[in-house]
Amino acid sequence: MLNRTAETVARATPEPLARKVRGISDKGLAWLFISPTILLLLAINIFPLFWAIYLSFTNYRANRPNEVVKNLGFANYQRILGDQDIWIAMQTTAHFVFWTILLQTLIGFTLAWLIDRKFRGHAFWTTLILVPMMLSPAVVGNFWRFLYEPQIGLFSYVISFASGIPPTSIQMLSNVSLAPWSIIIVDTWMWTPYVMLICLAGLRSIPEYIYEAAEVDRASNWRQFWSITLPMALPFIMLAVLFRGIENFKMFDMVNLLTGGGPGSTTEVASITLKRQAFESWRTGYSSAFAIILFVAVFGLANIYVKALNKVKQR
Amino acid sequence: MSMTQPAKRKSRWPRWARRGLMENIATALIAIGFLMLFQPFALSLYTYSFITMLAGTVMFIIVSKFPE
Amino acid sequence: MSLTTAHSVVAPSANSKRIAGAIIIAYALVSIVPLLWIFATSFKTPPDSIAYPPKIVFQPSIEGYCNLFTTRTRQTPEYINSLGPATGFCDETVRKRNMVIAGPSNFLPRFVNSLIIAFGSTFCAVFLGTLSAYGFSRFKVPLADDLLFFILSTRFMPPIAVAIPIYLMYRELGLSDTALGMILLYTAVNVSLAVWLLKGFIDEIPREYEEAAMIDGYTRLQAFWRTVLPQATTGIAATAIFCLIFAWNEYAFAALLTSGTAQTAPPFIPTIIGEGGQDWPAVAAGTTIFLVPILVFTILLRKQLLRGITFGAVRK
Repeated sequence: MLNRTAETVARATPEPLARKVRGISDKGLAWLFISPTILLLLAINIFPLFWAIYLSFTNYRANRPNEVVKNLGFANYQRILGDQDIWIAMQTTAHFVFWTILLQTLIGFTLAWLIDRKFRGHAFWTTLILVPMMLSPAVVGNFWRFLYEPQIGLFSYVISFASGIPPTSIQMLSNVSLAPWSIIIVDTWMWTPYVMLICLAGLRSIPEYIYEAAEVDRASNWRQFWSITLPMALPFIMLAVLFRGIENFKMFDMVNLLTGGGPGSTTEVASITLKRQAFESWRTGYSSAFAIILFVAVFGLANIYVKALNKVKQR
Repeated sequence: MSMTQPAKRKSRWPRWARRGLMENIATALIAIGFLMLFQPFALSLYTYSFITMLAGTVMFIIVSKFPE
Repeated sequence: MSLTTAHSVVAPSANSKRIAGAIIIAYALVSIVPLLWIFATSFKTPPDSIAYPPKIVFQPSIEGYCNLFTTRTRQTPEYINSLGPATGFCDETVRKRNMVIAGPSNFLPRFVNSLIIAFGSTFCAVFLGTLSAYGFSRFKVPLADDLLFFILSTRFMPPIAVAIPIYLMYRELGLSDTALGMILLYTAVNVSLAVWLLKGFIDEIPREYEEAAMIDGYTRLQAFWRTVLPQATTGIAATAIFCLIFAWNEYAFAALLTSGTAQTAPPFIPTIIGEGGQDWPAVAAGTTIFLVPILVFTILLRKQLLRGITFGAVRK
């Protein structure tokens, strides 16, 4: 009722009068409201970004602030983009991103598809499944080190119990071929619920009449799944995949605590290399260039992500 | 189509430079850049991945201003 | 997130429902085991925690919690016998291991830091976010889409990449290892989420309410205060919890930019060590205390979770 009165009154009031009673002009108020956020982001995000761009062209070292800073031009970029070790770090990252996304999408979508059957008590179990993704990746990742301990760790024990492999030889974190999988397992455990939640929203957004029409056409369940369910849920799956892709591309906290990049450099993903260069070797200029490269990569994906977001929003 | 109608003025924008198509090209460029960054086969592809991604991203920002 | 609406015309058969339920319940139970194990380990004694095979049944003890909050020194049995009677349970437990309590550990101050920084940054982010969201929702802002994208894109910056210049900047400004510096940083990261989420919530409030208020003689500002804010309370609360969870869980910035006085709990917990390696019951105790608030928040938020993780794009 309030709605209707307001509308009629609003239409009845002449525009200049309405504007006069507002005090500050709308335009002024808009900027007053928005500018603090923009200023904060300029100070804490954009200014440092430009500083990093400047540093990326120099040989600056943060632990020797008094040394003369030399301009190197694009030398830092050339070195990083021609460096075998960093290329390998990128492949490590790729391995991690590829497998986590594949596993999370497959398991997450399957779970969502099963939950969509609405068995009794599904709401409670869904909430329970969602718990891991809310936790701190660092704190929980740290605890997974305990679960991965050979012999005494629960994970190793269960695996050796199930497979019959002697418990001392299951060295998830110190074995060169198992260590990459140890981080993939924890990441999948943690973030499958995320993919599941978005897929569930996708499945719920499919209007009922499409299935009704398919029933009328006597399409088989299999056919309905491939020609209705999957394509209709695809924008949502893409959204989840892109976001997890961005997040895992820059993954740092969990990997740093689980393996710290080791053994050797078998789990040294890009962020770990960057941290080692920037905060252990103190090659600030060089690592700034690396940071800019990673940033451009993430920014490119973020553009696509926002496009995907808008696509989903229209549904 | 009549050019006198102001509502249709947008259609003067060349068809090939519409936002949708160009955005898809930019997206593809970013995706190719990523593949080049991640592939384990040739160091030179990795070397040029950054410039490809940068080009894709810049292009994406520019063409997102183009009319539909 | 509505969990009750059905859409398929072919209602799933009772059998398929049963199978689906069984698989989901099995997955939920398995995925929750690591958390139960953290909880169980926090009540084990150090020898129990590293027993082989891992002990599922054990005598509960709060030694982990004692070790978490104290630092201890090893003493000779003669010295311990010469002390007076133990003052409390922790004292007694520690003496059994030929040690005496030397003083409080750093856990409590680190936990308090986490609280200050998380709540401080959440307050700032939600405050700024509400204002901007209202601005973007109600006024014609030039380049609004670009500004909104700019705001969101700052959230995607890799933390380590941001940390390098921030480290230098804070060193110049004297903000390194201060709570203020961390609050500013977390506010900047969270404000993007806050603006996007709150814009969605405010978009849903009909404009007519404010217009009616303004006809009644309120200024735009008063109308915002009296009509929009009360209506947006749910949205603001949900946004605040999301910001709080992020700031509470954040590790990368905290590990790189704080080392002492302003260190938060996430970088501190992994450094808890006992004699001969990590003191797992104490780590588990710290982890348990650290995780409990998040569990409560997850339950409170379950209806808004989807919205939060998609920056407000998926509403149902």
